[in-house]
Amino acid sequence: MNSSTQKRFAGRTGSGGFPASGEFESTLRLIASLPAPEGLAERVQAGLRAAPAAASGASTGRTRILAWPAALRLENGWLQSSLARSAAAAAIAAVVAGGGWGVYSRVQLTQPQRGIALPRVAAPGGFQGAGAMRTPQTLNGPVAARTVTVGTQATKAAGKPTQTPVHRGKSAAARKAVAQPAAPAAK
Amino acid sequence: MEIADKAMYDEARQRAIEAAFAGLVSQYSGTLYRVAYSVLRNAADAEDAVQEAFMRVLRHRETLDEVRDQRVWLIRIVWNIVLDRKRRAKTRPETDDVAELARVLPAGGLSAEERAAAAQHHARVLACVEQLPAKERQVLMLSAFEELTSVEIASVLGITESSVRSRLFRARNLMAGLLDHQRSLR
Repeated sequence: MNSSTQKRFAGRTGSGGFPASGEFESTLRLIASLPAPEGLAERVQAGLRAAPAAASGASTGRTRILAWPAALRLENGWLQSSLARSAAAAAIAAVVAGGGWGVYSRVQLTQPQRGIALPRVAAPGGFQGAGAMRTPQTLNGPVAARTVTVGTQATKAAGKPTQTPVHRGKSAAARKAVAQPAAPAAK
Repeated sequence: MEIADKAMYDEARQRAIEAAFAGLVSQYSGTLYRVAYSVLRNAADAEDAVQEAFMRVLRHRETLDEVRDQRVWLIRIVWNIVLDRKRRAKTRPETDDVAELARVLPAGGLSAEERAAAAQHHARVLACVEQLPAKERQVLMLSAFEELTSVEIASVLGITESSVRSRLFRARNLMAGLLDHQRSLR
């Protein structure tokens, strides 16, 4: 019932009087004073006796959705012997180690990406990234104290790759023969 | 030795709690049934609600000593249960109410016809009660119990006593208007 209905009905009742109050209150009183059926308390007691385990289990917070099988319950004493305890501990350790190894053997170590691809935003008429990669800023590497000159000679040698195998291929005797003039012919 | 003493003490305490609980059941099951029936208007449902209420009490029987007013506490429990059940249940047709009322109302020397007419009248009144806003309806129904004072109604509903009074005033006004309206339609 909304407020407009309330106002509509409130206007009819006069100044604080309840013309029909006796009418409905007698009904409510009649229902409120109905006798309880015979043997209600006994039936309730019997019902509570039928489910004492569930109620007492809930009271101590030991209600479980999944219960251990009766043979494996702690009350049966199967875990009292040291052999059973050791076997159980070994089984748990094996399961944990096996699980860990299973995860480790499946995980592939990947090289971290040097750049992060920018998302392509297809804005009509807007600019595009043109395949630009954003390189995250990292720490600067170590800087050498003085310039190393060896590197320049190495780069020169690297610039003439065809000459090197020719010199390497000649033996020392051959090089000597080339250097000396030819001997005069014997008379 | 100490362990044996403690076990004996625990057992005695357990027996005392069970005896107190049995006393609660025999003392208040009738009151709880009437409260439940006033909302559910079905004898079997009301009995189920009483059973459920005592089941909840059984779960918390260790804390029974801490409850100040056990009667109000129990009524509050069963009240919450029946409101929850009522919310979940579909709306009952008025004909069900008439039949149920005709069955449970005391005969009091009435003929069968008079009894049927009385049941119809009560069913109409209850249909008007159903049209009230929930807050007003609850206060009105609880006020019909002569066992409950306005302070106790406030305690059951978790509101102040002045709220109970104002809601009761509004409920009575609305009920009078609804019954007038119904009478004018006939």
